Amino acid sequence: MRVILAILWKDLLTEWRARDRLFAMLVFALLVVVTFHFALPDGTAGDAIERNAAGLLWVAYIFSALLGLNRSFAQELDNDALAGLALAPVDRGSVFAGKALANLILTGSVQALVAFAFALVFGLDWLSVLPGLVGIIGLGSLGICSVGTLFSAMAVRTRFREVLLPVLLLPALFPVLAGAVRGTSEVLDGGGIPWDAFQLLVVVDGVYWVSSFLVFEYVLDE
Amino acid sequence: MTFALRALELHKRFGAVIALDHVDVELAPGRCLAVLGANGAGKSTLLRLLAGLMRPTSGELEVAGHDQEQLRRGEARALVGYVGHATLLYSELTAHENLVFTGRLHGVSDPAQRADMLLESQALTHVAHRRAGTFSRGMSQRLAIARALVHQPRLLLFDEPFTGLDRSAADHLGDQLATLRGDDRSCVLVTHELHQASRLAQEAIILARGRVVHRAEGDALERTALESAYADAAAASA
Repeated sequence: MRVILAILWKDLLTEWRARDRLFAMLVFALLVVVTFHFALPDGTAGDAIERNAAGLLWVAYIFSALLGLNRSFAQELDNDALAGLALAPVDRGSVFAGKALANLILTGSVQALVAFAFALVFGLDWLSVLPGLVGIIGLGSLGICSVGTLFSAMAVRTRFREVLLPVLLLPALFPVLAGAVRGTSEVLDGGGIPWDAFQLLVVVDGVYWVSSFLVFEYVLDE
Repeated sequence: MTFALRALELHKRFGAVIALDHVDVELAPGRCLAVLGANGAGKSTLLRLLAGLMRPTSGELEVAGHDQEQLRRGEARALVGYVGHATLLYSELTAHENLVFTGRLHGVSDPAQRADMLLESQALTHVAHRRAGTFSRGMSQRLAIARALVHQPRLLLFDEPFTGLDRSAADHLGDQLATLRGDDRSCVLVTHELHQASRLAQEAIILARGRVVHRAEGDALERTALESAYADAAAASA
C-alpha cells in the first residue's frame, strides 16, 4: 500500500504542476462534444441525441483516455525515471496499481467535466440518473485504466508507442465498451440499473486488473 | 568469501549484436572497480545488467551473495544504488520531494529526515524546495547521487558521472565519490576520465567490443599505465 500511495502522490503532483496531460485530454474530449453539436440535426437535444448520447459520450471518453494513457509512462522516460521505478525493491504489481489509480483519477476528472459539458451543450437533464451514470462510467473507466496502464508500459519503450497503444488497447477494450455503452444507454433511457452491463463490467474489470497486476512484473524489464 | 559483486561469463545479445561477450568480474567489499572503454564497448550494458535493469542472455551474476533471480525479484535490489547517464529524477518535483519519493519506494522509515540529511551532505539544502528541472548539470548530478544513497546501498554503480561537468565540478564530484566508498560499500565506476579512474579505483577493466581486453590493479592503475593500456585496447578494437 505504501508504494501504491507513493506513486499515486507522485503522479498526481507532477500532473498538477505540469497539467499537460489533463489539458490535452480535456481539450480533445470537449472538441468531440462540440463537433457532435454541430454535426447533429439542429445541434440541440432531441430524439437523435437522446438515442445516441451514450455512444457519443464514450467516443469522447475513449479517445481522450488514449491521449492520457500514452503520456502515463512516456513521462517516466524523461531523465530515465522509469529505471528508478524498476530499481525499487518493491512488488512491481504495486507500481502498476499506483499508476493505474492515478490514471483512473485523471480520466475520471475529465469524464465528469465532459459529461457536464455534454449535458449543457445538448440541454439534457441527467440529474435524476446521476448515481447510475457515475456507477457505469466508473466501471468502464476501471477497465480502460487497467489494461490501458499495462499496455502503456509495454508500448513506452517502442519507437511507435503512440500508434502501438491504440492498436493493442482498442481490441482489448471491446468487452469493456460493449458493457459501458449499453449500460450508459439504458441508464440514460431511465430504465433503472442495467444489471447485465454491470455484471459484464465487474467480471471484465476483475479479470483485467488481476491479470495486469500479475503480468506487470515482466513489463518493466528492459 | 562473499563478493560485493561477482559476474561469471556474463553474456548479452541484442538480436544479432553482441553487447557483452562472456565477461567475468569480481569485486571484494569496500573496493572500487573502474570500467573503461570506447563508446559502444558495452560499459553501460554491463552496468545495467549489474543493476538488474536487464537480464543477461547467459551467465551468472551475484550481488552481495544474492543471485540474479533474487536481484530481479526485488529484495536484493535494495543493495544497489545506481547513478545512470540520466539523473532518474522527476523534473516537476522539488529536490526534497524527489528524495522523499525514492525513500518511500525503498521503505525508508523517515524519508523526509533522510532527504534533509542527504541534501545537506550534497550542499543542496538551499535549493531543497526548488524543482529539479531547474537545476544545473552539476546540481542535478549531486541530487542524483543523493537519490542513489537514500536507501544506503552496499554497491554503488556510476555510469559516466563526470559527463557534462567542467573540470572543477568533476574534481569536486570525484572528491565526493572518494568519500562514499568505505564501510564495506563498493562501487563500479564507468567512465572515460582516466585520471578519475586512476584516482578513485583499486581495480580497472577495459572493455572493447563487449570483451574484457585488459585488467589492471595496483601500479598498473597509474594514469600513464592506464592511458597506454587504453590506447592499446582502442587500437586493437579499431
